[in-house]
Amino acid sequence: MTAQPNVFTMDATQIDIVPIEGELNVGPQHPGSGHLRIYVKLNGDIIEKAELDVGYVHRSVEKLAEVRNYMHLIPLVERPAILDSIHMNLGYILALEKIMGVDVPDRAQYLRSLAAEINRIASHLYGTGILAVFLGHSTGFMWGFGDREVWVEVLQALTGARVTNSYIIPGGVRRDLTPTIKEMIEKAIRYQRKRIPEWKRIFLNNPNIRARLENVGVMSKEQAIAWGAVGPNLRGSGVYYDVRKFEPYAAYDRLDFEIPVYKEGDAYARVHVRFNEIEESMKIIEQIIKEIPQGNILSDRFFKQIPPTRLKKHYETHGKIVFPGYYASFRPPKGEAISRVEAARGELVYYLNSDGSPKPYRLRMVTPSYRTIYVFEQLAKGARYADLVAIYGSLDYFPPEADR
Amino acid sequence: MMDILQDIKYVIFYPSFFVMIIFPGLIAGGLFVLFAIWFERKIAARVQMRVGPYYVSRFGGIAQLLADAIRVALQEIIIPAGVNPTLYVIAPIFPLLFAFLPLAFLPIGVIPEQGSVFSAYYHSFFDPGVNMGVIAALPTEYSLIAVLAVEAAYPIFIILQAWATNNRFALVGAVREAYLSVAYDVLILMSVIATAVEYHTLDVAKVVQSGIPGIVANPLAAFVFFVGLIMATSRFPFEIVEAESELVTGPATEYSGLLFLLAMGGSYFGTYVYALYFAAVFLGGWYPLSGFPGAVILFLKAAVIVLFSVFLRSVYGRYRIDQALRNSWRLLLPVALASIVLGIVGGWLWIR
Repeated sequence: MTAQPNVFTMDATQIDIVPIEGELNVGPQHPGSGHLRIYVKLNGDIIEKAELDVGYVHRSVEKLAEVRNYMHLIPLVERPAILDSIHMNLGYILALEKIMGVDVPDRAQYLRSLAAEINRIASHLYGTGILAVFLGHSTGFMWGFGDREVWVEVLQALTGARVTNSYIIPGGVRRDLTPTIKEMIEKAIRYQRKRIPEWKRIFLNNPNIRARLENVGVMSKEQAIAWGAVGPNLRGSGVYYDVRKFEPYAAYDRLDFEIPVYKEGDAYARVHVRFNEIEESMKIIEQIIKEIPQGNILSDRFFKQIPPTRLKKHYETHGKIVFPGYYASFRPPKGEAISRVEAARGELVYYLNSDGSPKPYRLRMVTPSYRTIYVFEQLAKGARYADLVAIYGSLDYFPPEADR
Repeated sequence: MMDILQDIKYVIFYPSFFVMIIFPGLIAGGLFVLFAIWFERKIAARVQMRVGPYYVSRFGGIAQLLADAIRVALQEIIIPAGVNPTLYVIAPIFPLLFAFLPLAFLPIGVIPEQGSVFSAYYHSFFDPGVNMGVIAALPTEYSLIAVLAVEAAYPIFIILQAWATNNRFALVGAVREAYLSVAYDVLILMSVIATAVEYHTLDVAKVVQSGIPGIVANPLAAFVFFVGLIMATSRFPFEIVEAESELVTGPATEYSGLLFLLAMGGSYFGTYVYALYFAAVFLGGWYPLSGFPGAVILFLKAAVIVLFSVFLRSVYGRYRIDQALRNSWRLLLPVALASIVLGIVGGWLWIR
């Protein structure tokens, strides 16, 4: 007679799983897939393999970049991640400025950080909303998108557009900060500070959500480094790394902020990193509003080229830059440059190669979601089928950003 | 002339017809389910800083659901290639039917000998257990388990439906339903056994007429039954079978048009019937009223239960299937056992 295992002391991992194999085509037309197809190989309820069939929303940004002028590329490079467009734009401009050798005035540097942080908050709220609806938590979904609206409105007031801002231009930014926008931002911060405890009550500390996220998609520190995780996902696994600290750009070397790091490495830790980053970003924004220096918002080299009448009509009255004719089709010197920025989803790398013509010889962009593909596939292995969406949402994987 | 009117009145108020078709059955139930879905959308909108249904009708878009139902019902019905068309079409009818049918055994009130519109049926619907007539489509002394016996067939037809559609997401949903049904049926049955032991009867009417609501007599059983109700009818946080982000709509994935309406209506009707049962057994039912006013009281209590269970959508996400099963077997089964012990003690010392 064989000894039967005691069913009352048995752990879930000890239960024999009867192999029932099969495949599921999750997406691209599926409520839980986003713009990609996930080919899931199941054994019972356990995922044996999840293959991300990327490329469904490929836009060929890198190839298009070779046939467009440098200025025309700004709206193009921000398309892959329209909800994180400031960062996509900023990284490209940083690489371009390195080739051109432009120095950016202080005020413009601060404004770049300001726009980037506002965008970071909006993007994190969006990601949380998507995670919430993946877990069936419709309130988190609506709240995420509702709260994001506040920050999108601020961005609209600052840049003139809700998502595809094209705010950052070579040598500076397009529009200046006005007292009205300052007030708006302060109001938005007050609102968001009030909302975060409510978020914690209904979402973060909700026993149901905790059960779905804790110990799900656990990524150790070593794995996170080996698999090339970036951004909040990396910091959720206990790695202290943030481009803003390690290689400061814009005004980050003059700003005081913390990098939230969690050791657990599970989906819950990643969500917490995002929420803490929202709070840190609000601190940064407050500092920027307080400390922003007076001055010009565009490098003198370009500013001098704006005709005085147009300068008076637009810049002095409304704080808006009118593009000088130089921008239409300028030729940067020969050279190449790499820029790194900490986008909302992680490190974003641009490589730009100029051959002296008005069009780049080569533009390479390594987006954070692109780096997440492998992490996603690895984390999904051995998870339960219902966890696929929890891992997806907690990684904040955004298909268009990965496909470019 | 008066005779004809009398005859019509006799037919309309004949409990078997009245309960199943008019109130609280098909007509009242259908309208109430539409109201419950409207309420679900409206209350979720309130929590989520939205407006919800607004334009259709003057009062808070209450006719929106009617408009939606008509629109969905008139949509094209697509029958996928590779399914058995007959089975495919009739499959979604059964879950709805078996969600609704248990109402036949459930007494919704008692008939006094004199002074009620139902008094004419006093003798034909006489229940010796309570020594009064009962308003029920099929009066039986075993109504406490008869309702559950019919309701227990519901998950079988969900599985049939998934099988008939031959869709992988539907099949995964059906497997989930199969696992879950075992868990919640045990919980529901055990809490009802606890109640039966405590009240020394299998007659819902007798439980109600004892004057002690089940929630007072046996709060554990009431709690276990309520959780079982939410699991059985796929309400949040146990909306695991239809899990949208994972399984599209589970067993109803392939359905469209009227068939989709039927496939999705089952869980709402199930909630409604379970809630009526819960209100009768655990919330004191119609007591101390009788006749039609008593039935209205019962309906209102059930309405509160349904509206509360749909409200849970705006608070919770959904559990994973293994978590739901583990919770129900590890945490709720001991509570259900405790409720039986409590029922034995209560039945021995308190309720005679």
